Amino acid sequence: MLYLQILANGLMLGGLYACIGAGFSLVWGVLNVINILHGSFIVLGGYLAFYAYSVAGIHPFFSLLIAAPVFFALGYIVQSGLVNRMIGAPVLLTLTLTFGLDLMLSNGMLAAFTADFKKVSLDPPLGAVLAGPVVLPVDRLIAMVLALALVGLLYLTLSRSRIGRAIVAVRMDREAAALMGVRVKTVYAITFGLGALMAGVSGPLLAMIFPISPLSGSAYLSKAFVVCVLGGLGSVPGALVGGLALGLAESFGSLWLGPEHATTLSFVLLILILLVRPEGLLGRKGYA
Amino acid sequence: MLKNRLPLTPLAALALTWGAAFWNVAQAQDTIRIGAPLPITGPLSPEATKLQNGINLWVETANKAGGIKVGNKRMKVEVLAVDYQSNTPRAVQAAEKLITEDKVNFLFSPMGSGATKAASSVSEKYQVPTIAATASSEQVYDQGYKFLFGTFTPNQTLTEPLADLVQKQAPGVQRIAILARNDLFPLAIAQEMEKSAKSRNMKVVYSEKYAIGALDHASALSQIKALAPHWIFATGYINDLILIKKQMADLRIDAPVVTMIAGPAYKEFVDALGKGAENVTSAAWWHPAVRYKGSDLFGTTENFNKLFRAKYGRDPDYGEASSAVAGAVLQLAIEKAGTTDRKAVREALANMKVTTFFGPIEFGPTGQVHSLQPPVFQIQNGTQVVILPEAIKQGSLRLGVK
Repeated sequence: MLYLQILANGLMLGGLYACIGAGFSLVWGVLNVINILHGSFIVLGGYLAFYAYSVAGIHPFFSLLIAAPVFFALGYIVQSGLVNRMIGAPVLLTLTLTFGLDLMLSNGMLAAFTADFKKVSLDPPLGAVLAGPVVLPVDRLIAMVLALALVGLLYLTLSRSRIGRAIVAVRMDREAAALMGVRVKTVYAITFGLGALMAGVSGPLLAMIFPISPLSGSAYLSKAFVVCVLGGLGSVPGALVGGLALGLAESFGSLWLGPEHATTLSFVLLILILLVRPEGLLGRKGYA
Repeated sequence: MLKNRLPLTPLAALALTWGAAFWNVAQAQDTIRIGAPLPITGPLSPEATKLQNGINLWVETANKAGGIKVGNKRMKVEVLAVDYQSNTPRAVQAAEKLITEDKVNFLFSPMGSGATKAASSVSEKYQVPTIAATASSEQVYDQGYKFLFGTFTPNQTLTEPLADLVQKQAPGVQRIAILARNDLFPLAIAQEMEKSAKSRNMKVVYSEKYAIGALDHASALSQIKALAPHWIFATGYINDLILIKKQMADLRIDAPVVTMIAGPAYKEFVDALGKGAENVTSAAWWHPAVRYKGSDLFGTTENFNKLFRAKYGRDPDYGEASSAVAGAVLQLAIEKAGTTDRKAVREALANMKVTTFFGPIEFGPTGQVHSLQPPVFQIQNGTQVVILPEAIKQGSLRLGVK
């Protein structure tokens, strides 16, 4: 009985982690850029949902529709205006660039929104449904389903659409793709835009569940790292598998070893994967 | 909330420090400078805002009255805030820099028991009287230090009255589950709760810690639900407790008594949870409903509340009151000593026996205040209602938290 509940908790948490990790993984895999901004983009998406709900009464599920184009555009501009200028540089330099941008964004949010914790409290609350003996909180359930849908959509975009194939082509071999007429810098900007879009739409989903503060981005970022490495860099199904694996590991780790060791277990898992399968659970070099 | 005051960015804090350093050359004779290492950025930044609110109100009120009376002249007060980014080692560096480079006369401690203890070794080394506004754990004060004074009573002064009250008014409450943040203060208060419960023959059915920065408590709460406790006691800071309470409601966990320390004292807790906050109990070192007639610059509790409301547009909470009283107490000690000499001020603090708007202040041999009686309160109809001590209570304990 308890195990079923823990399993459900783990899967729902895993869905959210997959959503956090997918865009980060895409950018890292295709651009070889570790986007430190990712966590703060999620938080900014959360604030968008908070103000949309508290000022205009827009339900967080609908603010996803606002967040998607806004964050795509934001990501596109950041990449084409800034990151593209040093895309060939060693990974540490682009990391420093996004780290700096992240400092600016999080301090900007601190000045704009104050450090207080805010939370989207739906009125009436969504409540929970019972599936036999298992309680499923509706907001988490919907967030998980939406997260899976988003990850699926990203996967379809990459595998079916023309631009998606171009992204994968650039990832596999940048020079060859350029010779085939793919405009690499545009593809980079679109990829970064998609990564930002995934972060921006995770924000409203997470804002219903977690309190928002300008500096909580780093917590999301650390989860994104683990999801990425577990699942395999740049692989969208990998982010899904990595997210679910992390969610389940934390839930059962908390049950068996006590809550203070849940994160310990997830990092032990990370080290094991790095030792045994450094390319990640679903990682294959060159394919999305 | 807090809209009228943006938090200082690290850059601004730095600029403030530099600017103040130049200014100091000309003004050194006429101002009393107090250093305040604060977690202006990082996870503890909401707490820093509160500490700044209290400190700023004190500075403003003291300077408006002409400053602090030292012998037969009046000296203005200036507080130098330095951001330590919620990073304890940096708090220690910040304290040392304030003392050695900025040449502050006195110091306020950083936020919380852990950082206060770490930074106290520096202020002790340089013999700088230091007031801790947010450190309650006895381990902070048992180091034999002579220059550290704290305005919070020990942790058990929160859990003992609470356990008494529950035992008296809800004798059926026998099984308690404790979930604590793995951090100095939250863990210490959880251990005190465990002691208070056991000494009253309550059964502790669950007692676990969660990691700092945990994003999910569903597993721990599912386990707690399976154990069907009568009393759920959770510790942590406001974001942890909002998340825990939200997940309790998500998992349909209810219990006759749910206590959370420290978060429900803040308005943000109630704002974030709405009806979910109803009937949650807590205890804190101060509450705006207490009534004292003090000899400090604020005078009565009512007057302090009034000044605070005029500046910030809402009622103060215990953290804000404590950081304001830290200043008020330091002022009383300087005025008593009649000098800014650090040793003389230290003596005045050690022998202090006054009543303030915050309550009676008398420091024990370790430097921790032992004269206050912390109130117990409960969220009823969206506001904090004091249910103990009897003398100031506004309502009675209600059972049943959903």
